[in-house]
Amino acid sequence: MADRRRINGPPGSTMPPVFEDDAGQPEVKSGKGRDRAPTAIRKMFLKTGVTPSASGSAYLEFEKSNKSDVSGLKLSCTVHGPRSLPRSSPFSPHIVLSAHVKYAPFATKQRRGYLRDPSERDLGTHLETALRGAIIADRWPKSGVDIIISIIEGDQDREASKSQGDETWDMMNALSGCITVASAALADAGIDCVDTVAGGVAALVQDAGDDSTPRIVVDPIPSEHEKVLGACCIAYLPTRDEVTNLWFKGDLPASDAGLYTQLVENGIQASRNANRVLVECLGETTS
Amino acid sequence: MASSQHVLLSPAELSYLHSSLSLTPPIRPDGRSPTQYRPLSAETGILPGTNGSARICFADGTEAIVGVKAEVEKTKRRWDDDAIYSENQPTEGEGQQQPGRDGDNGEESGSSEWVELTVEIPGYRDDDSGTIFLGQMLSEALLADGGFVRKLRINRRFHWRLYLDILLISPPLSYPLPLLSLTTHLALLATRLPKLKSEGDEDPFFDDDWAAAPYLYPRDPSNKQKVVERPPVTLLVMAVGGNIIFDPSKEELAVADVALAVSIGDDASTAQQIQGGDKMDVDSFSHGSGSGRNLKLLSIRTVDPPSRLTPPGVANAANSAYGHAQVVSSAGAGGNSQKMPEARQTESEAVEGVWKPPRGGAKAIVMGALVQKVLIRGGVADEVLDALEGVDTS
Amino acid sequence: MDARPRHLHPPHTTAITSSLAGITTRTNKLISVRPLRARYTPEVGDLVVGRILEVQAKRWRVDVGSVQLAALPLSAINLPGGILRKRTETDELQIRTFFAEGDLLVAEVQQLFGDGAAVLHTRSLKYGKLRNGVFVAVSGMGGGGGVVRSRRQVWTMEGANNAGKMDVILGVNGYVWISKHVETPKEVEQKHMGITNLEENVSATVYSSQNDAIDGDTMREIARLRGVVTALVENGCRVDEDMVVRGYQEAVEMAMLSESGQEDIYLGGERGEQLAAALRGN
Repeated sequence: MADRRRINGPPGSTMPPVFEDDAGQPEVKSGKGRDRAPTAIRKMFLKTGVTPSASGSAYLEFEKSNKSDVSGLKLSCTVHGPRSLPRSSPFSPHIVLSAHVKYAPFATKQRRGYLRDPSERDLGTHLETALRGAIIADRWPKSGVDIIISIIEGDQDREASKSQGDETWDMMNALSGCITVASAALADAGIDCVDTVAGGVAALVQDAGDDSTPRIVVDPIPSEHEKVLGACCIAYLPTRDEVTNLWFKGDLPASDAGLYTQLVENGIQASRNANRVLVECLGETTS
Repeated sequence: MASSQHVLLSPAELSYLHSSLSLTPPIRPDGRSPTQYRPLSAETGILPGTNGSARICFADGTEAIVGVKAEVEKTKRRWDDDAIYSENQPTEGEGQQQPGRDGDNGEESGSSEWVELTVEIPGYRDDDSGTIFLGQMLSEALLADGGFVRKLRINRRFHWRLYLDILLISPPLSYPLPLLSLTTHLALLATRLPKLKSEGDEDPFFDDDWAAAPYLYPRDPSNKQKVVERPPVTLLVMAVGGNIIFDPSKEELAVADVALAVSIGDDASTAQQIQGGDKMDVDSFSHGSGSGRNLKLLSIRTVDPPSRLTPPGVANAANSAYGHAQVVSSAGAGGNSQKMPEARQTESEAVEGVWKPPRGGAKAIVMGALVQKVLIRGGVADEVLDALEGVDTS
Repeated sequence: MDARPRHLHPPHTTAITSSLAGITTRTNKLISVRPLRARYTPEVGDLVVGRILEVQAKRWRVDVGSVQLAALPLSAINLPGGILRKRTETDELQIRTFFAEGDLLVAEVQQLFGDGAAVLHTRSLKYGKLRNGVFVAVSGMGGGGGVVRSRRQVWTMEGANNAGKMDVILGVNGYVWISKHVETPKEVEQKHMGITNLEENVSATVYSSQNDAIDGDTMREIARLRGVVTALVENGCRVDEDMVVRGYQEAVEMAMLSESGQEDIYLGGERGEQLAAALRGN
């Protein structure tokens, strides 16, 4: 029955709007696969002292990939501390470290809210583990230090959302970036560390093609490969040759012992490369 | 809060524990061998309102209960699904990052959103970082290979949504990860989903007879107890001064140099052929145990050892209470002035008998050795999985 | 707090009902109920093992397994440098050099507050900070199981298989400390004849948190003894000197019969039950 008191919409059902996807574009997709060497990490830009009001700060940017719609990672980190703990907290003979990681709402294809969700808290825990090994904690009793990281642009392919892929591989890249930038900011804040810690990611990927065997690449961009079988993110101290944090996820047959070791080795190598950039950047600011 | 509980022990106790665990062979406080697990009691089917449930109690009184519930959910259809909009075909092979909607075998794969796992620890908020770390670790192991979510698919339009609720009943006396993981494993083994009577893509309807409901993890048709493929399990393993120790208690964890949480699962492709002879069967690790199945590594996370949060001991040389006596008696032979450089010294030197929280990380070789020890065929992982399989889940 | 029965007066009856389950004793008109299982209630003169939980202005708060934290005032400890040393402000500022959070100590209950909280003191050479050993907590006090007040709470025993001597301190509150034998003041006195020397030697080590070197055999026997105490508690036996010593001998014999010999010190689960049964049978 037509409702005469209101202005009615069109009778019958309507279809939701359907947008044309970029895949239909005539331009040839250059660099469909990975064009870097398997052991080459992306170029990064790192600068400290970008936030004058904080005790220490740093900004990190990874280069964009050749694929037109893949964004690079952009991270900003501020360090507040060492500052005294609130009166009510119990005595602590070492420094109390707390790390917070937050994606900006516009950073990823799917908008994230303002409250931290479990994956961000998880990243924070990993970051704390990675940094706790590097900081000389007993020089600062009864103090706390806060590390706050904002991921301004995530490592995401706009098209990848079509395939409903997991974001975990992107998280690993984000974590390694977080570790490196936090380390730079800590050095900028003047907090004593045994060594600079940098993050590196290595992945076991399988490319398109009938007969492709899985291979190990570092600093992976998930959309460049057909399938990621497993990846690990390593936080490494080069001078001491020690690993403070290891996060591996994937599907590796246990019988192949060498595969896991190789993956970790590659991750350590990537971390060493990132560390070189880190040390160079810190050297610039002091000179 | 770090991912581990803060344990209150005196520096003297910590130093004693560390020395005790660094001996060859290590002497654990409760006398277990390095690969011996604490006795536990396990039972399933305790919650009649769930699809599967389990309860495990450790000897020290910690207890956990897991309930698995399932509900039918309509699968979200994407706008370019060829069943609905036939003119918009997605272009294939554009370097999709994940097994896309068409999996390896041409059947649809699942989505990790179909499994919701929550962990509750008494006394902690559910958004506490430690609780979330545990939850992420457990769900990561389950979703790592994508095989589990494939089991939840009913047809192209519907799937099961699984809710795993993990409750730690007792206050956390020891790091709860292994307990929660074992209980989840058992609950999943005992989970049954109603038998599907509908066919094809029509709205699903099920058999009302619960006794006909098949297990989520199907049993071997020849041997009712044996499971074809087992759910993943997470083990906590730590290293102290060259020794590798499994199932550490809270005190042992407090002096760990490094602690890893390793998740392992059954290798599905070899699970079908129990006797091996597959190309993945490498003989270097077979220890001759007939029941050992090929395992696969699903996830590894370093657990921040609570040893970093422990109070450091003070060596006699730098202890002013100790030094006082000597200052008084020996008429101040430079006792006070030496305090400053001595304080610095104790930071870098390790004095025997004095506890120092560890700095830095662990060598990659040590971590590799930890992982290898877990994965040895016929080793601890297999023992734990076999023991759990023996629990009656009817 | 006295275990006075709280009188519940159900209407129309004059019966006295206790709020605790336990063993009643009657003296004239006073009826006391000793609970079967309850938290430790401090009495003056008890020897207790406690752990420092908080450090406050001029005193420490000690966990003795009771309902309330016990207090250990700064004035109640021996200051290094001799009995006659005056307490200065520096001592108050450096209070953590004596006892810090987490330290274990053995002390005696000096007095009780009105609400039943204990006040401890360590003003004797046999009290002070504990080191070179392990801690075990035994729960449950009273008749059923747990540590009972007996004549000797502290004793030294000989370890088997080349181990050295071991000290055992059974705190009345259920906290037990097993350690490598440390020379007592009397033994030190026998070695060094001077009295001034004696005070300073003892005071120098009493607040140390540095362990002495302990060999593997002693560590193994200490672990075995800890297993014995735990097994006694898990199987509801009394824990006092006699039971512990006999239990230890029984454990050593059990180990000799087992395959791995003396290395086998595990006493949980079934082996613990076996041990307890053997002790009860004797």
